[in-house]
Amino acid sequence: MSTVSEPLVGSSRSLSAAKRHKSIRKNSRRIYSAYQDHQQGSSDDEDKEDERVDSNDPEEMFQNIQYQKEIIANIRTRPWPMRRKLKVLKQAREIVLKYEGRLTRTRGYQTAGADLLKKLSRVLYNIVVLFIPWEVRIKKIESHFGSGVASYFIFLRWLFGINIVLTIMTGAFIVLPELLAGAPFGTTRSKTIPKEHLASAQDLDTIWSLGGYLQYSVLFYGYYGRVRKIGSAGYRLPLAYFLVGMAVFAYSFIILLRKMAKNSRLSLASASDENFTFCWRVFCAWDYLIGNPEAAESKGAAIVNNIREAIVEEQEKKKDTSLAVLISLRILANILVLLSLAGSIYIIYFVVDRSQKLEQEKPELTLWEKNEVSVVVSLITMIAPSAFELVAQLEMYHPRTSLRFQLARVLVLYLGNLYSLIIALLDKVNSMSSAVPVNPGNWSDSSSFLATISQPEADSLSTLVSDISTSEHRNSAIATIAMVLDVTNSGRSSSGTISNQTALFEKNTRSQQEQCWETYVGQEMLKLSIIDMIFTVASILLIDFIRGLVVRYLSDCCCWDLESKFPEYGEFKIAENVLHLIYNQGMIWMGAFFSPCLPAFNVLKLIGLMYLRSWAVLTCNVPHQQVFRASRSNNFYLAMLLFMLFLCMLPTIFAIVRYRPSQHCGPFSGQEKIYDIISETVASDFPLWFSKVMSYVTSPVVVLPALLLLFMLIYYLQAIARSLKFTNNQLRMQLQTERTDDKKKVFQMAAARLQAPEAAGDKKPDQQESDVTSQEASIHTPSPRRNGSVTNFQSPVRRGNSIRTIAQSASRTDLSRGSVAGSVRSPAVTVLPKHRLEHIPNRPPPFLGGPSSTCRSKSYHHMAYNPPARYSDNIHSDPLYRKTIRPIHPVEAAGIITAQSYGGRRGHTTRYVIVNEHEPRKKLLRSATRIPRHYLMEESAEILELYPRNIKRYTPRAAHYHPHPHRPHPSQQHLSEEEEEEVEEGKSRRRMSLGKAHRPRSLSDLHQPPHFYIGDRVESHMSVAKDSHAARGKYGAQEEDEEEDGEGEMDWGDLESRSGFQANVRAADPLLVRTRRHIHSPGRHYQSPARTRHVESYVKPKTRPKLETPLTESDSASLASSSDQQNSSTDQYIQVIHNKERYLKSDAKQGKLAKKKSKTSFDVNVTESNDLVSSNV
Amino acid sequence: MGNKQTTFTDEQLEAYQDCTFFTRKEVLRLHGRYRELAPHLVPLDFTNNPDIKVPLTLIVTMPELKENPFRDRIVETFSEDGHGNLSFNDFVDMFSALCETSPRELKTIYAFKIYDFNRDNFICKEDLRKTLNKLTKGELTPEEVTLVCDKAVEEADLDGDSKLSFSDFENMISKAPDFLSNFHIRI
Repeated sequence: MSTVSEPLVGSSRSLSAAKRHKSIRKNSRRIYSAYQDHQQGSSDDEDKEDERVDSNDPEEMFQNIQYQKEIIANIRTRPWPMRRKLKVLKQAREIVLKYEGRLTRTRGYQTAGADLLKKLSRVLYNIVVLFIPWEVRIKKIESHFGSGVASYFIFLRWLFGINIVLTIMTGAFIVLPELLAGAPFGTTRSKTIPKEHLASAQDLDTIWSLGGYLQYSVLFYGYYGRVRKIGSAGYRLPLAYFLVGMAVFAYSFIILLRKMAKNSRLSLASASDENFTFCWRVFCAWDYLIGNPEAAESKGAAIVNNIREAIVEEQEKKKDTSLAVLISLRILANILVLLSLAGSIYIIYFVVDRSQKLEQEKPELTLWEKNEVSVVVSLITMIAPSAFELVAQLEMYHPRTSLRFQLARVLVLYLGNLYSLIIALLDKVNSMSSAVPVNPGNWSDSSSFLATISQPEADSLSTLVSDISTSEHRNSAIATIAMVLDVTNSGRSSSGTISNQTALFEKNTRSQQEQCWETYVGQEMLKLSIIDMIFTVASILLIDFIRGLVVRYLSDCCCWDLESKFPEYGEFKIAENVLHLIYNQGMIWMGAFFSPCLPAFNVLKLIGLMYLRSWAVLTCNVPHQQVFRASRSNNFYLAMLLFMLFLCMLPTIFAIVRYRPSQHCGPFSGQEKIYDIISETVASDFPLWFSKVMSYVTSPVVVLPALLLLFMLIYYLQAIARSLKFTNNQLRMQLQTERTDDKKKVFQMAAARLQAPEAAGDKKPDQQESDVTSQEASIHTPSPRRNGSVTNFQSPVRRGNSIRTIAQSASRTDLSRGSVAGSVRSPAVTVLPKHRLEHIPNRPPPFLGGPSSTCRSKSYHHMAYNPPARYSDNIHSDPLYRKTIRPIHPVEAAGIITAQSYGGRRGHTTRYVIVNEHEPRKKLLRSATRIPRHYLMEESAEILELYPRNIKRYTPRAAHYHPHPHRPHPSQQHLSEEEEEEVEEGKSRRRMSLGKAHRPRSLSDLHQPPHFYIGDRVESHMSVAKDSHAARGKYGAQEEDEEEDGEGEMDWGDLESRSGFQANVRAADPLLVRTRRHIHSPGRHYQSPARTRHVESYVKPKTRPKLETPLTESDSASLASSSDQQNSSTDQYIQVIHNKERYLKSDAKQGKLAKKKSKTSFDVNVTESNDLVSSNV
Repeated sequence: MGNKQTTFTDEQLEAYQDCTFFTRKEVLRLHGRYRELAPHLVPLDFTNNPDIKVPLTLIVTMPELKENPFRDRIVETFSEDGHGNLSFNDFVDMFSALCETSPRELKTIYAFKIYDFNRDNFICKEDLRKTLNKLTKGELTPEEVTLVCDKAVEEADLDGDSKLSFSDFENMISKAPDFLSNFHIRI
């Protein structure tokens, strides 16, 4: 649809606008309905047509070029064969090349620049694609195992991308500056390994537990200097550290949300509750990526299972398994799961606590003791999911449900693990940070240490000063804190903060190393990550690889089939593996603030995992039986990741906000809170006004309203979303009803077509129904016309306007409007059947199906209908004629005539029908009449030149549309009088008319003229003519005058030669011309047709009888008109009368021209009908 | 590619990139794959657009297709003659329409064509039956197949003509959660 909007941007010239409009429609049609062959053909024509556009108008040329460019840009989305695409592309390019030069230079440059840009971007894209990692590997996996397994790797790759960015952020803004410009290793206390640890600093187990040199490295928070500005450029490392730490979270959030939004856009409709269980299972089940026989086999089996499942579910699953047992089993299972969750959490907490105690009690820790926390956590994360799976078998859930349960449980487990770990750690941190202030000795120590360290003098001085000042500050603060701590940590001798320095010195020095709780947390997280990696690798090797080996090579020498029974090959459990990735990422987020290199480590880890996993999958795994739905689960994974991110961010934020940073290490040492760095920077390094502004902004005065605003915004957006959802639903309902209505009508029409005589009866109910069904149907129907009809509509409208101005009368218009509302529906109904009959043009609309199409159709309808409706009211026949006329122009005069006849029939169908009914005298049955008509048609064809049926059809259609609305309503509304008299007849006539209109369309055009030829059958045709004449009919004399053969002939000639409205009108038919003339003439005579009509309508009832007396034909007409007086119908009747007169006249002329004959025949018919009517009356 | 014999001119490559969702490299790789199918038939030099078609029997041996139950239909759908003889253009077209980046609308159109076995622009029950039998390799009993066909039509048929028109199909597919991820072939 984007293509659609493009052309809208541009000049507002009507010409170009119209053209654009056209191209828009073309495009949309191509995209949505181009799959039909005939449409392809038409679009081909359009292309040629576009080529032909060769005007020198730069604007037009520009439009053309724009259009061609659109083609070029969108050609790849067209469902054409490549050969055609290439051809069209070439043509479009040539045109663009050819014309672009003619445009102004700036435009040429612009386009040249755009071209260059496009080429560049393409080259860039080609290059970028080369660097997408593991593309081939993933494709290989995809082709083996399908999209499910591949989704894991794609997810992994995506995480890898995120971690790369995080690594760059931390590396570029924290690690590198510290390495390059920070104080070198060993220069400050926080960067020096304590003497007593120096000996063991390089021991393997120290390194392994991330102590020793690693602890005092850029890996961890503690290493970073507290100097506000480092290097010659004055890089603010502490500030950068804080900002980057926050940016890591911000970036993760943004990227996650964006990805989720994109995903949900892709699966736009999946949110709807509609469920096509079987269809999806049939049409969307096969994974086209699968290329491995084994995978294909298992996929096939899975699909069969799936379908069987659905069948079973469909066939009313009567679960006979005793519910009590099942429920108790499930309760048991849940209890087990809860117990294991609680147990795992307790174990972790216990282990952390124990390690803490051990550290305090034992000077030397064993390797196990140092790593037991992470090992235990990793063990739990490995074992518990399998335990859950075992437990889940107890529950006997549907596999999909159990998978969900499994996922939820595992997620809870992972979260529980991480949380209990971090809580235990923070607990420890709590005790550590509370111990810190107890050591004023350290303070003096450190400050003196700092002073002695060789540093740039100025720096050292300043730092010293600041240290001292802060230390003074500290002392007072310490006192207060000590008071508080007294209660809990009485054992720690907090009371004598100032006096007991020496006593606590020992302890202080020891605690110094642990004081850096940030480093400690970072260490733990990194350790956890490493251990986790080791366990993953081990599990892959052991559980997958070794098992695979055993199964493969030992199955021969074992008493059961290893491959299909017990050990089997390892399954690749997508969901659990993805969860593990999420868990892993959670650890990273949790620890990233305390260990800036954690993302970098994770990048390495992910790379390793990628290779190892893909290798393992390809060599020793079989795909999971229960493949979690890929696309839906994509967002599911992301949602879990988001959840994880949020939960992992909380502890970090909590620690940042709640705890005082370590005093002797890290960039924030010496601050009360970590975030103080911001306010400090604002206060010291920004101009005064900024800090003022900041203080305002952060004051409740601003924050509260802002929060309120946010809430309101959320509420508002939610309300909008809800209403959109509602409209969505409504549109869907509408679409559905439309389609059903549509189909019904089609069927009815088809039935009617098959059984012409019987159909007449059937159609009537249909039409009525259609009226009831109303706008929806009408909306639908219009859409089909679009192509051909639109132009027709437009033309009538314009004419209508002109005519209106000439002839409108207030009362008329009012009436017309009133009727229009009702009429619109009815026409729509009639239109539908017509479309159906036409098959070809109608087909495309269903594809458009969407709301957009309906909208268009509506607009068109209104546009087209309203004017015609008014017209019809004013000049019933006019709109129809005009419409018909238009198309007719190209067509031969005969065609025009036919078209007119159509219009006439429809517009006046009811009346004409009456005539027809009368005709039956001759033919007995309408069907019979029809048949004769057909015959007539043939005859007419012989007599008249064959006209392109398509054109005729189009014109009649248009005419039909317009007239129909008028007819039914006016007839219904106004018919009352007539109807009362001839209700039955009228109905039958209507039916007849409808049936005729529908059936004949293609043929009818021809039929009518032939009818004209044949006096007897002409009656029906006459009716058409009568329609046209209707206006005239009122003023019989005028009409008669106009009806003169000479005029009619003139009109014919005019038709061909003239293209203008008048010409058209005249050309439309001799009859039409006459009618027009009549109309015009009456209008002139009476000044406005509307008036005349009104007058007529009012007068007619009265006059008609009078007229009848004077005119034999008019008598019947007057009778008919009397009933219709209010409506145009009266006019029509009158016209009929005129026709009769004409007929009389024309009789003489008939010999000359078939048309004349037709007129005459009409007249005859009319007379007959009138007579009949009169007789009826 | 400098010293190698040129397979396509730059314009051709540009045109292919305009008409498909492929990059230059992918087009070349596609040519390689195409040529692999029938080395004796397909020349290395495509600069003059040779009129060569590879028959269906060869195309379906591609690993990407050989396990696909609808492989014959896919190839037939994309062949210009309707019998599965693919020119290189058709070949590129096929994988372009089925590639990951092609839009849902396009895929829907071709999916409909693929499942419309008798090419009457409707998916009738017979089409559904064939689809099912291919999908399940005849593992379902006829009763089950009938049931599934009826149910599927019942679900998706909005207009009650007991067959699926394109609009029905499109409506159904547009709501399918894994159509996009499943209906594509990587190459």
